[in-house]
Amino acid sequence: MNLTPVLRAEALKVLTLRSLCGTLLALFAATTAFSALAGVSDTSAPDFDPLFMALSGVMPGQIAAIAFGAVVVSSEYQGNGIRLTLAAVPQRGRWFAAKLAVVAVPVLAVGLVTALAALLAARAGLGTAADGLTVGEQVRGVVGGGIYLMLMALFAAGLTALFRSGVATLSTLIPFILIVSFVIGDAAGTVADFLPDKAGQIALYRTYDGTLGPWTGLAVTALWAAVALLAGFWRLRRRDA
Amino acid sequence: MTSIDVQHLTKEYGTRRAVDDLTFTVRPGRVTGFLGPNGAGKSTTMRLVLGLDRPTSGTATVGGRAYTTLQEPLRQVGALLDADAAHGSRTARNHLRVLAASNRVPARRVDEVMEETGIASVARRRVKTFSLGMRQRLGIAAALLGDPEVVMLDEPSNGLDPEGIIWIRELLRRMAAEGRTVLVSSHLMNETASFADHLVVLGRGRLLADTPMREFIDARVRPRVRVRTPDATALKAALARHGHDAVEHADGHWTVPDARVEDIGRIVSGAGVSVLELAADEGTLEQAYLDLTATETEFTAQPQEA
Repeated sequence: MNLTPVLRAEALKVLTLRSLCGTLLALFAATTAFSALAGVSDTSAPDFDPLFMALSGVMPGQIAAIAFGAVVVSSEYQGNGIRLTLAAVPQRGRWFAAKLAVVAVPVLAVGLVTALAALLAARAGLGTAADGLTVGEQVRGVVGGGIYLMLMALFAAGLTALFRSGVATLSTLIPFILIVSFVIGDAAGTVADFLPDKAGQIALYRTYDGTLGPWTGLAVTALWAAVALLAGFWRLRRRDA
Repeated sequence: MTSIDVQHLTKEYGTRRAVDDLTFTVRPGRVTGFLGPNGAGKSTTMRLVLGLDRPTSGTATVGGRAYTTLQEPLRQVGALLDADAAHGSRTARNHLRVLAASNRVPARRVDEVMEETGIASVARRRVKTFSLGMRQRLGIAAALLGDPEVVMLDEPSNGLDPEGIIWIRELLRRMAAEGRTVLVSSHLMNETASFADHLVVLGRGRLLADTPMREFIDARVRPRVRVRTPDATALKAALARHGHDAVEHADGHWTVPDARVEDIGRIVSGAGVSVLELAADEGTLEQAYLDLTATETEFTAQPQEA
């Protein structure tokens, strides 16, 4: 089972759709811009966390990552394109693996660059307020941010394969993320910590006081993504195309 | 030898049987017309052959292997299913490049098939700006990409202009002459008659016929002879002597049912009847097809599902 030609084809699919390249650009631009804005905001709040403040652009930015993951998969379901795809690559597991690679790799790469750019942009504004951050904390925040964005994109890709629709994924996931973020908010130490987005976001904080740490939090998000992907793959395998 | 082999193929969607215990073989070197009304199961059969849908029971193989076990299937089987399978935002050329890459088809084939299908001039235009006929040509280009031994086209002449229809007819004939296996579905009889050598006819998911086209027509439509003469009385008398019954038509020509042109020619010349026109009136595929469907009682008793 040679994966290379399928990977090449899937990569070419992403590169030949302008909207997908635009989405990755939006991920970078939105994250960096919101972090830069956060950098010049009020830093006197009692629960001020300089690392999260610097990386807070990831919150709006993740919507672009989610959209990317959803659209890479949903573009196949437009006008029965999936039939042509599966006629070219009839081994569905091989095709799905290649599809996930072209979701994960670009988002991880852009995500790491974005998180670093966001941190630098925010620190320019934060000035001395962020001086307490160690190198280790900042590396963890940037790497964690990149991985978090990748996992959210994969989560969306899995849901899209399950629903066979990008609209269904986006209209579930985006309100979910907004509601969880605004309603449950910062109530740490509850079951909310284990939600797919909240768990992974722990990696963006300098201090955390729940059951989960930055890496275990990302592992929980990875588990959510894995479940969504398995469910999506199950649907893909079982269903007539 | 690369044939398409369908053995006891059945596909149920819920309680509806789209394909019902179908067995037939599509052989190389000829064009096989795949006929049947809308909803007869032609497209479903093609999807089952391509491994896109799973059969409820039975098998479909290409060259003796299940399609899903083929590593680079586009090099062996080219198929056109829907004209709108290409993503609208991609250019025609990029669409074909993606398919070529997935099956390690050399990139030069992309330009070759676009040239062959007459879409080279719009190669860099986005597919959503294409007319149905151009999409159809793009779908055929995709089917030809891997230079396959087996070609399966679902309603290829949909949306094509008259030149396009002549082009597709010649393409199909040429591919069969090159020894390829060609299966072409259609619900247009005259169209199919112009390119098919062999017919597989479906009705309500079942096999109604699997015969050479000429035999199919000859078995169902009695041959007639068409005659025009200035001396109707002499013609009628001469034919009556040999047990033929001629029928006169409003425009003055006569037809002799159930007769061969060789026999009628001898009779009229033997009787010295002057003749202005003498021609075999061959049965058409349409007549034969309608005769077949009329005899299928279940077929006509129940209305077609949409």
